[in-house]
Amino acid sequence: MPKVSVEDLKTGMKLAKPLSRGNMVLLGEGTVLNETWIARIGDMGIDGIFVDGPSEQPIPKQEAIRQLDERFRNVLSEPYMERIKKIVKEHIEGLYV
Amino acid sequence: MSDKIDIRMLRSNVESINALPTVPSTLRRISIMMEKQSIGLEELGRLISNDPALTAKILRMINSAAYGFPGRISSVSHATMLLGLSVIKGLLIGVSVFELMEKTMIGLWEHSLGCTVVARMIAQKKGLKEPEEVSVCGLLHDIGKAVLMLQYADVYNKAMQEAEKTGITIHEAEAGYFMATHAEVGHWLVQKWHFPMHLVETIRYHHRPNLSKQSPMETAIVHVADVLVRAKGVGYPGDLVVPSVHPAAWEMLDLSENDIGDILRNLEDATSSARETI
Repeated sequence: MPKVSVEDLKTGMKLAKPLSRGNMVLLGEGTVLNETWIARIGDMGIDGIFVDGPSEQPIPKQEAIRQLDERFRNVLSEPYMERIKKIVKEHIEGLYV
Repeated sequence: MSDKIDIRMLRSNVESINALPTVPSTLRRISIMMEKQSIGLEELGRLISNDPALTAKILRMINSAAYGFPGRISSVSHATMLLGLSVIKGLLIGVSVFELMEKTMIGLWEHSLGCTVVARMIAQKKGLKEPEEVSVCGLLHDIGKAVLMLQYADVYNKAMQEAEKTGITIHEAEAGYFMATHAEVGHWLVQKWHFPMHLVETIRYHHRPNLSKQSPMETAIVHVADVLVRAKGVGYPGDLVVPSVHPAAWEMLDLSENDIGDILRNLEDATSSARETI
């Protein structure tokens, strides 16, 4: 579920989260954006909204895996840590397909 | 090291947090109120309702994906009835600590939110009756870091730099500079605020879950949540490494690979949307 900045919104995108201000829901989850909605959202002065679809990752996959190796470098010989790392690695790889 | 910050001085400084000019005013007000032993649900509800900004923050937090409380909660009185005194107290401290965390350690809030989500999911998977109670433990487990950073910024920065340089955890680095770690500091605070035992114990023992006598399950959950959130690299808890998991705590929870995959996916969604909600 990527967060898309207001400039990059396109008609046909679907809200992955309700858009609310304070406690008031303005557009419900699943709303399909048309030009009117996009213009109104543009007037609200927010930086972006969540739409359906795979998330765009902030860093490339290789870098994400390098950082993962780095985080685990001191504990791999400890019980269960190798298994935890493997599961997290599979999860991270899954974010890039 | 002989110039470590003395434990008695540390404790008295932490406990007089209300006197600090740098403490955000909401936190000061809430802290003073919670020191009163007898505060009840009704009084707490009234106090929140009389403060529109606080009401909005609490409701937004309860209704955000990170907490996943049941249904949509639209009023403070509904929230207090549904969630109970200790969860509401925890959330109150949570929203006021947010300001403090953002000011002191960039990324600590995100780490805490991550632990909130993961702790709740593990609690649900393990069939605990009140998963919200455990998620609040996740939210507040590192409150001691924010307070240490507020009061001893120079020393704490040194500890963080050392952790980064040598690859040790911030918990290990703290021990070189203070005679108590963030876990004890947090424990003093929630005790002073009369929080229930499971919250006091999870905060105190989240790095040593084997020592928890009253709430071993909750403490194991917060400990494992902390490890998983760091493993995924969500937020910044003061260091860049994953601590090893305590084997007994890990075995007690006995999570399957599917459970963990599920938890990681939820963590992803909740933390990306939570940045929006507060």
